[in-house]
Amino acid sequence: MLLPPTDAKIVARRAEIVAALKEIVPDGVVADPSGLATFDADALSAYHQMPLVCVLPTNRQQVSQILKYAGEHGVPIVPRGAGTSLSGGALPREDGILIGMGRMKRILEIDYENGCVVVEPGVTNLNITKAVEANGFYYAPDPSSQIACTIGGNVAENSGGLHCLKYGLTTNNLLGVTMVLPGGEIVTLGGKCGAQGGLDLLGIVTGSEGLLGVVVEVVVKILRKAPVTRTLLASFGSVPAAGQCVAAIIADGVVPAAMEFMDRRCAEAVEGYNQPGYPAGAEAILIIDADGVEADVTHAVSRIGEIVTGCGGTTVEATDEKQRVRIWSGRKAAFAAMGRLAPDMICMDGTIPRHALPSVLEEMAKLAEHYQLGFCNVFHAGDGNLHPLIIFDTMKGDEFERAEAFGADILRLCVKVGGVLSGEHGIGVEKRDLMTDQFSPADLEQQHRLKCAFDAQGLFNPGKVFPTLSACVEQGHIHVHGAQLPHPHLPRY
Amino acid sequence: MSKAASEDQVVEFVRMARESRSPFEIVAGGTRRSVGRPLGGLAMLDVSGLSGIVKYEPAELIITARPATPLTEIKAVLADKGQRLGFDPADWSRLLGSNGAATLAGAASSDASGSGKLRHGGARDSLLGFRAVNGLGEAFRGGAKVVKNVTGFDLPKLVCGAYGTLCVLTEMTFRVYPEPQFATTLCLSDVTAEEGFAALRKIALSALEPAGLAYLPGNMFADAGTGVALIKLEGARQPLEEKIALAHGLLGDAMHQIEGDPFAAIGCGEKFADLPGDVWRVMIPRVEAPRLAIELNARHWLGDLAGAVLWLAADAAQGPRIREIAARANGQAMLLRGSAESRKSLGLFAPQPPALASLGRAVKAAFDPLALFNPGRL
Repeated sequence: MLLPPTDAKIVARRAEIVAALKEIVPDGVVADPSGLATFDADALSAYHQMPLVCVLPTNRQQVSQILKYAGEHGVPIVPRGAGTSLSGGALPREDGILIGMGRMKRILEIDYENGCVVVEPGVTNLNITKAVEANGFYYAPDPSSQIACTIGGNVAENSGGLHCLKYGLTTNNLLGVTMVLPGGEIVTLGGKCGAQGGLDLLGIVTGSEGLLGVVVEVVVKILRKAPVTRTLLASFGSVPAAGQCVAAIIADGVVPAAMEFMDRRCAEAVEGYNQPGYPAGAEAILIIDADGVEADVTHAVSRIGEIVTGCGGTTVEATDEKQRVRIWSGRKAAFAAMGRLAPDMICMDGTIPRHALPSVLEEMAKLAEHYQLGFCNVFHAGDGNLHPLIIFDTMKGDEFERAEAFGADILRLCVKVGGVLSGEHGIGVEKRDLMTDQFSPADLEQQHRLKCAFDAQGLFNPGKVFPTLSACVEQGHIHVHGAQLPHPHLPRY
Repeated sequence: MSKAASEDQVVEFVRMARESRSPFEIVAGGTRRSVGRPLGGLAMLDVSGLSGIVKYEPAELIITARPATPLTEIKAVLADKGQRLGFDPADWSRLLGSNGAATLAGAASSDASGSGKLRHGGARDSLLGFRAVNGLGEAFRGGAKVVKNVTGFDLPKLVCGAYGTLCVLTEMTFRVYPEPQFATTLCLSDVTAEEGFAALRKIALSALEPAGLAYLPGNMFADAGTGVALIKLEGARQPLEEKIALAHGLLGDAMHQIEGDPFAAIGCGEKFADLPGDVWRVMIPRVEAPRLAIELNARHWLGDLAGAVLWLAADAAQGPRIREIAARANGQAMLLRGSAESRKSLGLFAPQPPALASLGRAVKAAFDPLALFNPGRL
């Protein structure tokens, strides 16, 4: 992966930059090598880079002063939340200031009457729900890293999760942000009523992967927790049958809260790992949640049951909360369970039109045959968001190269059938060089001009999202060695 | 007036306009031309020929259409398969006294979202992807044709509510939703604004997933007494019955079901079509609605989206006062219908703080550096 070359002149001024940052945040500058090592990667752990310096502000004025300084002195900025990005969004630069937002973690206001919560960006996703759940509310987007990832990072990546099938991504649950622009100006986009008048800049900032500024305050919608949730486990004799069933459920108009797919290889790995009780011999399983008021859920569950049967599958329903949790525990352990089957693994992330599921699943099996590599499929089936896991051993011949080629072919396949490179992990450095497979030069130039409207100096997260002119062929993946994942305590979807 | 009926023709026209530095107004159905700052006697590009459905995939819950497709056509095609647009695109033509057919692009570009916004968000939440021509005369695309996508900047959000100031749209892809089997509206009669909005917020904060929540004072709704709180619920037969029972549980048994769907007329502003004066949509945190309704002191008004949007009719002289009251409540007052003088002096929205305004100009210039498209409308 080629990143823009390090500016040696900036590196040479390191002492001066560190001193200036200490003036702004006296108790929040990390400059010693051991301290900086903590920040040298995010959850895309194949890539490491020590930052020039890391600064941890505690308020928006400090953020503004830091960005003003960076602008005046031409120093690149890399924003970071909890560092759980799966696409390298928070990968530091040798010549850049890493600005860590983790200390700004106050919940500023809980406003039930307006159905929203105002927080600082370092509050974790799950802590928003925890702050309101005693009153029966929650924050809907639930990325798998939700116990660690911050809401600021969620805004930057437009994070999804299991339940975005029904409740939308971050962008659909966000009412406003206050952000510091490159150069230090502070602007508020949207607010409690979402309205701002003028262009919807909030929509552009959401999912902008740290390329446009630093978010210092966030207003999110909260929802009343559904009174009833029921979980179905459906099993199928063939992978295409399960794919057809997903398409049939969506087409029928039933909107499950979540609909997750696992193929046989993955289900067996999970069964050997934490025994969620998946049916033996099934070629594919679906885990489906329906939520809402009781009659809505009853209606959905019976309709889904009929469709599954029509597709040749069988269903089992969780009879109590304990069994529900057990069924889901397998899904949540899929990543870790697969990691035990081989020393290395990469996880892909692309979205396809749902009707293409059966053909894409077949095509992927052929690719696996071609590359002679093991893989499994586990993904958010309801919205066509694939997460194929490819397993290999770097120490064996050219397996690593084959795995990367296989992964890139899968993403190209997604684009070929009308889909996209990323459904929720973002582009970052991981898929940057595949952007030209999805977008024409005119498409990318338009996006790049928009970037320049915010960041004329090009200081914010350089080397991310947009391919360099000398794009080399690098493929998207999460690299896992020896089954050791970054943040091993987090479930991976 | 020039016409363009294909993307190539749009490209050609924009390149010519660019050569001669001639700004122009983009017109499709022409029903919303009187919204925003008057453009004066600019040249016009008529894109009404860019009409028709490109691809409708009911099983995928996605429809791709050309931008000037009339809303009536798209709604009919969707209804035929038991589906609908989630944001309830509003046709303002009666309110604005305009002729012609309201179009898909017109509704999205003016963010004309109706009561469906409660459940499915606004136009921005439904537009998945588009094709367009920018001010350099280059065709480009934003977003994609799948429901879950974080690849690159989310340009579809930006073109919604941009009033055609960024690019000329040539194709749009929306997600659509299944039409619920049944819907009903519950009516809580003879309640004050305070009581009515409190009831609506109670439903908004429940798990009933309401499809419409409005308060109308007595003079805006037949047999309303002091005023009515209207609650629209939807679903399959059994679930709907349960939701009605739960709503009664929350608000008591005084409610009755009414015939028909009053929300279509509310979203289109039809209640104000025959009233004189300027018409405003004031967007505020919904809890402020009862207080602001009193402070605004309009003879004709109503509150939609549980109070998050107040519609009102007012004399032209009231404009600055309305803006000030909205701003104090951290809201935004939009002048939806006004005389040319009102629109010229007040603009569509209040001026933004300088840093935000300058960012907005830079973003506009990133798409349309010569300010060719609908200059000054927004």
